[in-house]
Amino acid sequence: MSAQLAATDPHEVADAAGHDHGDHGHHAVVENNFMGLPNIKLAMWAFLGSECMFFGSLIGTYFFYHGKALAGPLPQDVFSIGITSISTFLLLMSSLTMALAVDAMKQRNPATARNFLVITALLGATFVGFQVYEFSHFVHLGLKLSTSLFGSTFYVMTGFHGGHVTVGVIWLSMLALLIHKGKLNPAKLPINVEVAGLYWHFVDIVWIVIFTFVYLLEFIQ
Amino acid sequence: MSAAHHDHADAGGLPHSHKKAYIRLGVLLTVVTAIELGLPFLKAYPDIWMPFEPVWAPLLVALSVFKFGAVVGEFMHLRGDRRIFQFLFLSPLAIAVIIFLLLGALTVSLFLPFGEGIAVTAIDVKAGYVRPTKSSGAEPPLAEDKFKAAFADAKAKNFEAGKAAYDKVCKACHGDKGEGKAALGFNLTDDCYKYGGTFKDLYVTVADGRAGNKMPAQAGALKSEEIRQVVYYIRSLKGTNVPGGQPCVGDKVAD
Repeated sequence: MSAQLAATDPHEVADAAGHDHGDHGHHAVVENNFMGLPNIKLAMWAFLGSECMFFGSLIGTYFFYHGKALAGPLPQDVFSIGITSISTFLLLMSSLTMALAVDAMKQRNPATARNFLVITALLGATFVGFQVYEFSHFVHLGLKLSTSLFGSTFYVMTGFHGGHVTVGVIWLSMLALLIHKGKLNPAKLPINVEVAGLYWHFVDIVWIVIFTFVYLLEFIQ
Repeated sequence: MSAAHHDHADAGGLPHSHKKAYIRLGVLLTVVTAIELGLPFLKAYPDIWMPFEPVWAPLLVALSVFKFGAVVGEFMHLRGDRRIFQFLFLSPLAIAVIIFLLLGALTVSLFLPFGEGIAVTAIDVKAGYVRPTKSSGAEPPLAEDKFKAAFADAKAKNFEAGKAAYDKVCKACHGDKGEGKAALGFNLTDDCYKYGGTFKDLYVTVADGRAGNKMPAQAGALKSEEIRQVVYYIRSLKGTNVPGGQPCVGDKVAD
């Protein structure tokens, strides 16, 4: 596509904005760069790329030290597949509701988008609640950050993920609130919801990897 | 302006809704997750589990990769999006996968040396890098041996500490060897557990006690480290079936 060469046509700009076909007539208020792409979306993809390396290292480190704990309970002693499956399922469903929020916003339907954002944030908050319960349960079973290589690598990895979910819950809640109060520029709403959605889906895929590699594989071997 | 784009948008200029496709994908992801969750439970059926044993772990990884790709490609709309977005995300992802695989390869080469004569010395590990060296009897112990020694050492110390904690708080009711005492403490050397025999169950029993019988909470008398050690010690008594033990109380626990 050569959108950057002919970005004067509003249809062309909307198309260049990552196939965001809903920006017709409103493209002027979204800050696009010389390529005709929204800066905010470009920045989010670049950020998520760096996050891949961040979480890749954390998960890799967990595996590097797997089975080398000299003290404390071992993964199989503390993990509970039942409880973790419920929270995993909730986070997966939150990715669906997030996609539906982005879709509703592209249809210029802020009320529906707001409702889906609220549901997504609630599912995310429940996930964080499960993690708080899990951590406190593990501590009760004698696994602390400083207990062993398992404790250190596990808490740092899952803790950073939980932190990301928490940030996402705050972000989505604020977005829903601002949409509800009508405080955001309607022309910018689709891209704002889309970018929040990219972040949220990323948090979900990190958990897809952690859940399979850290929890499930533990019980397969 | 491509023709496909015109087809995509409806007459009002709004984009075509993906709602139905998203819901279909949500259902598919749920089914895949249910399959993943079922696998650990399938292990209880050796007739099905054993013949396909080498398949399960790669299958789990494949399902996970599928879910990852589906969310990134469809929900995040990266499939069919601009090349620059794909580049910004996929190239660091490739680096992350390489880091992951290298760390995995390093683990294997450090602790499960394969081939002959190629191994890493403990000194290399301490210096923070990995250098393949020819190993012979005269060279310093391999990282693997060092680790095994440290592990055995830690295990022995944990066992001793567990026995000491047992003698301190458990012996009075459960007997010298865990045989139990009538009306005081259950037999710990059979395979019956009134309150469950997993690490978690036993930890809670020791730490918090059990209401409705004489088992008191020991969280005040023992540190959490000691509770853990005594639980491992108690688990080691299972199945020793000391003569003259108390009769079985509770459910038989298989493993």
